[in-house]
Amino acid sequence: MMIRAAAFPVFVLWAVSLASGQAPRLKNPLGKGPDVVAAGHTIYNRTCTACHGVDGGEGERAPALVGDRRFFRLSENSIFETIKGGISGTAMPPFSGALPDDDIWRIVVFIRAMRGSASETDVPGNVELGKAVFTGQGGCLKCHMLNGQGGSIGPDMSNIGAQVTLQHLRQALSQEEPIPPGYRPIKVVTNKGETVEGIAKNEDGFSVQILDYHDKLHLFDTTELREVTHGKVSLMPHNYDKVLTPEQYQDLVAMLAKQVTVNLPTKREGEGEVGR
Amino acid sequence: MKRAFWVLLLGAASSLPAQVTDKQLLQPPGADWLNYNGSYNTERHSELKQITLKNVNSLVSKWVYHVPGGGGLQCVPVVVDGVMYVTQPNEIFALDGRSGRMIWHYQHILPHAPDREGPNRGAAVFENKVYFTTTDAFLIALNASNGNVLWQSKIAESSEGYHSPAAPLVAKGKIMVGVTYGDRGLNGFLDAFDAKTGEHLWRFNSIPGPGEPHHDSWGGDSWLHAGGATWLTGSYDPELGLLYWGIGNPSPDFNGDVRPGDNLYSDSIVALDIDTGKLKWYFQFTPHDVMDWDGAELPVLVNAPFEGKPRKLMVQADRNGFYYVLDRETGKFLHGNRFAHELNWATGLTPEGRPITVPGVEPTLTGAKVCPSSIGATNWMSPTYDPQTKLIYFVALEGCGFATKNTEKFRPGGFQYRAGGDVLLRDDTWKVYVRALDLTTGKEVWNRERIGSGSLGGGLLSTEGGVIFSGEINGEFVALDPATGKSVWHFNTGQTINAQPVTYMAHGKQYVAIASGADIFGFTLFEPELVAVK
Repeated sequence: MMIRAAAFPVFVLWAVSLASGQAPRLKNPLGKGPDVVAAGHTIYNRTCTACHGVDGGEGERAPALVGDRRFFRLSENSIFETIKGGISGTAMPPFSGALPDDDIWRIVVFIRAMRGSASETDVPGNVELGKAVFTGQGGCLKCHMLNGQGGSIGPDMSNIGAQVTLQHLRQALSQEEPIPPGYRPIKVVTNKGETVEGIAKNEDGFSVQILDYHDKLHLFDTTELREVTHGKVSLMPHNYDKVLTPEQYQDLVAMLAKQVTVNLPTKREGEGEVGR
Repeated sequence: MKRAFWVLLLGAASSLPAQVTDKQLLQPPGADWLNYNGSYNTERHSELKQITLKNVNSLVSKWVYHVPGGGGLQCVPVVVDGVMYVTQPNEIFALDGRSGRMIWHYQHILPHAPDREGPNRGAAVFENKVYFTTTDAFLIALNASNGNVLWQSKIAESSEGYHSPAAPLVAKGKIMVGVTYGDRGLNGFLDAFDAKTGEHLWRFNSIPGPGEPHHDSWGGDSWLHAGGATWLTGSYDPELGLLYWGIGNPSPDFNGDVRPGDNLYSDSIVALDIDTGKLKWYFQFTPHDVMDWDGAELPVLVNAPFEGKPRKLMVQADRNGFYYVLDRETGKFLHGNRFAHELNWATGLTPEGRPITVPGVEPTLTGAKVCPSSIGATNWMSPTYDPQTKLIYFVALEGCGFATKNTEKFRPGGFQYRAGGDVLLRDDTWKVYVRALDLTTGKEVWNRERIGSGSLGGGLLSTEGGVIFSGEINGEFVALDPATGKSVWHFNTGQTINAQPVTYMAHGKQYVAIASGADIFGFTLFEPELVAVK
């Protein structure tokens, strides 16, 4: 089923590209290894951050290059052509004179890496020291599990590098984020007067499934509850960029970005050429 | 940081997460349904009696959980403290057993396209962990309360074609898992892992290698691609410390010419020492099988008088059409009789329990009529033993096949290696039944047709409330009177049932549940709903 589902859009794209008689495609001559990503990162910082912001997060004068926008230039070629030729009528200049083609390719590879999972991008920092922060001063193990060890109230971090972008990872550590489904703090008082506190793994108008802070599940019909109070904010602290030193923070980010047990299926080159 | 500190403080108060202990696993099925077969003896007889023969007519569907992307579910739900664990290939879900609402979900991501998808027959539980196996042959242990992965252990090479579909069995701190496919020339085995750590403890090879006893039951090099899959969950006798596991068919399925000999331990029940995995005894139902009649049907362990003396029995209705009663301490054959009405390949059993075959009734190059067909006279549908009626109940299929063989060769990488097949002769005799036999004599007591069912469908469950539950291939979930087989209640699930029913308690109410098509159904006795007054 999954094979067929994946093959269908690919076939359609192929048929469309045949029909439209496109010019021969450019080809990235450098590959997309970690050295290319790192080199692209350096050139990006020198060239692009003024408008697009650090790590492509969003700048004052140009849109974010990573994030949840619906329309992105996705393929290597379309990003390459945009950097090289600019976008007429906008502040995006052509870089054809300013940068050699190989450097443009390096930036392209870096941008695509940033849009991919955190593990695919270039994150400087000391992974071992980051692990020490995670298990020690950061207190992360109280709620999160890493490779089978740790708490259960927060999401498992063992594959986080493959699951989120670097931008999401930084935001989770440093910004107030909406509470993800299954993690809303909840406190209930039963008709018998028993109080249960934890997170609502699921909830509707008729029942609620709570994981308490002692790793125990409680399943209630709402008719059994006298009082239900929802937490308004996530239990996740979001000031790690402030309470840790800049080095510790960077090490923590680098360590999390490297946590991969299995890579999630990725899009093929050219799939969803101009967004979804 | 303040909030993390607050969480830590709360953690200092005490209440423990749900733990499944060894002691609980030794009990017959009651409030919880703790493994594939409900309990170690595989009687699938629950102590629950809130639902009775008298009130079962007011049983109603309380909830349905649709498994996203699901279909053809074969999982048996496992239930602990009202939390239900269900699986589909490479996915496991924790559900609220009262409401059917999902608590958590975990998906095992395959590093490659899922070329071998299923099925998955369910999970196992022990202490704070829930276990399941995957199509790329991993055993995964998760935290039962939130689905976090605690460890995963590789069982076999999926690139060779191995896959692990059966629900694991936990006993004595060990977790036993089997593999498939025996129809692809892959030699089966049973592995034991440490239930706490995932460390590999022992392996029993279904096909003995050079130097091992009974290696000479395979002519030439035929033992190399010989089958003997372990694709269903076995039974366990804690007093004897023995596991009982059904072993699948030999490869290639239909052409026995390339594998002269009895082909042990294909189509056998093996009794293994749980501490070492060493073989204590075996009994082969179909020596030199050429009809794909796996001996994998569930071994039911019953303590009952046999010829006046209390005996530890193991009984099995086998795919080959015979019913067997064995002494499970020694493996001694005590009794056997034909239960299939349509059976032409053997005239009976010897005093040792070996079939007396009819020459020529086997797959040939031009074809021959063989009864039962390769589907078998029964199959993986769970049987049940009801100690109240002293009857054993199972799903029987009457019908023949036109069987041929060919010279197909083994190819590595998990390709079919059957060297033949049969065309199912779906004539007037082709029918599916729920059949009740006397435990020790094997005499048929009643026989109820599953009308409209062309294949075997789901299995059976008996309860102390005096009701048998039965899932039919056409989607009907049915309650039967254990004394007569008469149907006393039914519910159309609207989908094909290929799974086994379970029962459990949640918040003081008895539920019955079964997987059907892409959904899990939960049933309980009707009562007017209380509405929350805001």
